[in-house]
Amino acid sequence: MAPKFQIKVFQISSLVKNFIIISIVTLSFLLVFFSKSDLYLINGIKNISSSVIIPITRAISAPVNAFSNFVDEYNNFRSLKFENKILQEEIIRLKKWQTLAIQNSRENKVLKKLLNATDNNLTLVKTASLINRNDTLYTKLINLNAGYDDKIMKNMSVINERGLVGKVIDTTANNSRVILLTDPNLSISVKSISDGIFSLLTGKGDGKYLVSSFVKENKMPRLGDIVVTSGTTQIFPVDLLVGKVAKVEKNRFFVLPFVDFKNIDYVQIVTSE
Amino acid sequence: MEFSKFLNSSSKLNIILIISFSISVNSFILFPNVNNAFYILFHLTLIYLIFYHYHYYLYVLAFIYGILFDLLLLNNIGAHLITFLSLLTLFIFLRRYLIRLSSYQIIFIYFITLVILLLIEQLLAILIHNYKFNFSSFFNFFLISLIIFIPTVFLFTKLDK
Repeated sequence: MAPKFQIKVFQISSLVKNFIIISIVTLSFLLVFFSKSDLYLINGIKNISSSVIIPITRAISAPVNAFSNFVDEYNNFRSLKFENKILQEEIIRLKKWQTLAIQNSRENKVLKKLLNATDNNLTLVKTASLINRNDTLYTKLINLNAGYDDKIMKNMSVINERGLVGKVIDTTANNSRVILLTDPNLSISVKSISDGIFSLLTGKGDGKYLVSSFVKENKMPRLGDIVVTSGTTQIFPVDLLVGKVAKVEKNRFFVLPFVDFKNIDYVQIVTSE
Repeated sequence: MEFSKFLNSSSKLNIILIISFSISVNSFILFPNVNNAFYILFHLTLIYLIFYHYHYYLYVLAFIYGILFDLLLLNNIGAHLITFLSLLTLFIFLRRYLIRLSSYQIIFIYFITLVILLLIEQLLAILIHNYKFNFSSFFNFFLISLIIFIPTVFLFTKLDK
């Protein structure tokens, strides 16, 4: 009786094992096939990955994070005296600019009234803080602590005090995922301030520069020119600061973004009115 | 020492897998190579588990980690999931030939598998997710693999003993 029983158990376990393997392989192919769709299952998995898995991975990697923060703090402390001197000089410079800006703002208001022009104001949806970042391997992504419960939706623009940061590509109830401007898969339509040259910019891949992938009429902007969003693709609101032209070649130019992507703590999710 | 008595080598390798996964999906701006190193360590651990501790539960593990890596690093399911499952399936077919090889040959195949795995992941990311191939990042992976390969194999052998 005993050997017969053993054989029976082996057969069942082997069947179950094969069934599990085949199910996993089939499910994997279905997931790959439908991964870009808006299916409930895919959204559920994405939801779990950002609301459950990310906090767990953060907790496990906390010692490395703490060490990284300590080194950062130490470096900051070392450069404190030098930074203080630079900041004092910058305050004096900015005070001069502030006076000029107030004058220009008043003048701008009066001129707009005269022209009966409408303002292209941004609507602030939410100010969110960064919970973790995945911008070292593959894509340049960051995760924020606000989601569709805070009225954040896909394709909304993300900015900080320096300019355009990126675009929301995924939202769950309490988290959203943002693709950074430096990602090679994100294209933004921009124009230069002085010449009004329209072009498309994408991330260069090094996490620092943006490179033009298309320039209208092949006109190159000048070195040092400021680049802002053109608003033509209707994803990004018009006139958001992007960066400065850092290098001009025969058929393309490079832009250094204003945003310091290494020091993003708080961002604002905005939409145009 | 007391703690290690409760865990067999497979469990220890699984703990390494969890830790390396967690560190590789959280970017550290000051130490970007830490992410890369743990990403490679994850692959090394997974290949080691498949080669020396094969069990069908690894399909479930590869499935979960594949999806999570894809979602957290690429925001779409594909590259890692396909690569991990293909590696497992390929191993089942080639197992009988691998057993006949000497330890040095296996170590060589172990390293080649790692490099091919990393390359296939990048190629699939290009094909499925339109990710732009970055040769410098692949070269960086290769260099880190060269540096950490021998110490990792030494560590795993110690764990297995």
